[in-house]
Amino acid sequence: MSAWEIWLVIALLVLATVISRSTFWLVGDRIKLPAKVQEALRYAPACALAAVIVPDLLSVNGQLQWDWHNPKLFAGIAATVFFLIKKDMLLTIFFGMVIFTCFRLWL
Amino acid sequence: MQRAIAANSEQITRLDARLGTMTGFLTPTIFFRMTLPAQQQAFREGLRAGMPSWFGVAAWGLVVGVAMIKTGLTLWQSLGMTLLVFAGSAQLAALPLIAAGAPVWVIFATALVVNLRFVIFSALLAPHFSGLPWRTRAWLGFLTGDVTVAIFMQRFPDLTPDARKLPYLKGLIYPNWSSWQVGSILGILLGSQIPTSWGLDFAGTLAILCITLPLLMNHATLFGAVVAAIVALLAAHMPYKLGLLLAVIVGMSASMLLASWKESRLKDKS
Repeated sequence: MSAWEIWLVIALLVLATVISRSTFWLVGDRIKLPAKVQEALRYAPACALAAVIVPDLLSVNGQLQWDWHNPKLFAGIAATVFFLIKKDMLLTIFFGMVIFTCFRLWL
Repeated sequence: MQRAIAANSEQITRLDARLGTMTGFLTPTIFFRMTLPAQQQAFREGLRAGMPSWFGVAAWGLVVGVAMIKTGLTLWQSLGMTLLVFAGSAQLAALPLIAAGAPVWVIFATALVVNLRFVIFSALLAPHFSGLPWRTRAWLGFLTGDVTVAIFMQRFPDLTPDARKLPYLKGLIYPNWSSWQVGSILGILLGSQIPTSWGLDFAGTLAILCITLPLLMNHATLFGAVVAAIVALLAAHMPYKLGLLLAVIVGMSASMLLASWKESRLKDKS
């Protein structure tokens, strides 16, 4: 991606944040979200994050790689288990990086 | 987040004395002028309530900072992104897409979807401040993230007008913003000194993983996320990363279908 495109992305990310955070503060008294829409809004972020992260964990240099030679996959699974037990974000990131680095160096 | 709130009450008493002098000095000079003692007190109360989360926010900013610079953004781009965007999960979700060269509008759409939770949060919080001028509201909305909403709603559950609400919110959001930026800039500077071969951008992936997992704690959301992940994998070769948007739409529909199916089964039973 060229430099100007990255700055364009940054500008659009600002816009996305302003739209999602400030819209209700500005026009909230004039909109009432239907229950169905509220429900859809609740599910969307989890779907988007899963759709970004799973292909990322499963690919190495842009190619899908399912096996144990993919350090991201193994460290991702280990970190998931760790997070479900410990429920601590920073410890999980640290733990995941340690596993990832061990795999990267020794396998 | 809940743990942070639970930790609040313990730490508040301990830090009370120390903060009293510190914020008494800070409040009128750096943040803003407040003449009424009740409002000044509310600002300090906000500071104390948010304090236990400062470290976590800074550390989280640090991870995002490292991830940005290690994805290949330049120093100025990374600094620009953190100072202007101020939305960690949207930034993190955008990074792999930037690395993969996805079209700009797909990155924009993804950031919007990832940020959708803020729409719900702001719908909860905004009615408390409907009397303020629009510029102030836009500004407050932009600075208000997840942690802030949870703490605020706990302190002021009712919509009744209260002059202490605004200074309390400011006491939460100003230090929250500052902690985030300090952590993030530190991460960018540290990250730029570390070789790319260490794969530190993976910390960003792990961070998104940690935001995603707590969201999956009910069946409908879990089901939708699994469906979205499968669709994203199957559609990985669609042009322009369109598979990602398709995955979100199919996943969301799957969640809603499962939820309404479970609801109708409950009705049948009763």
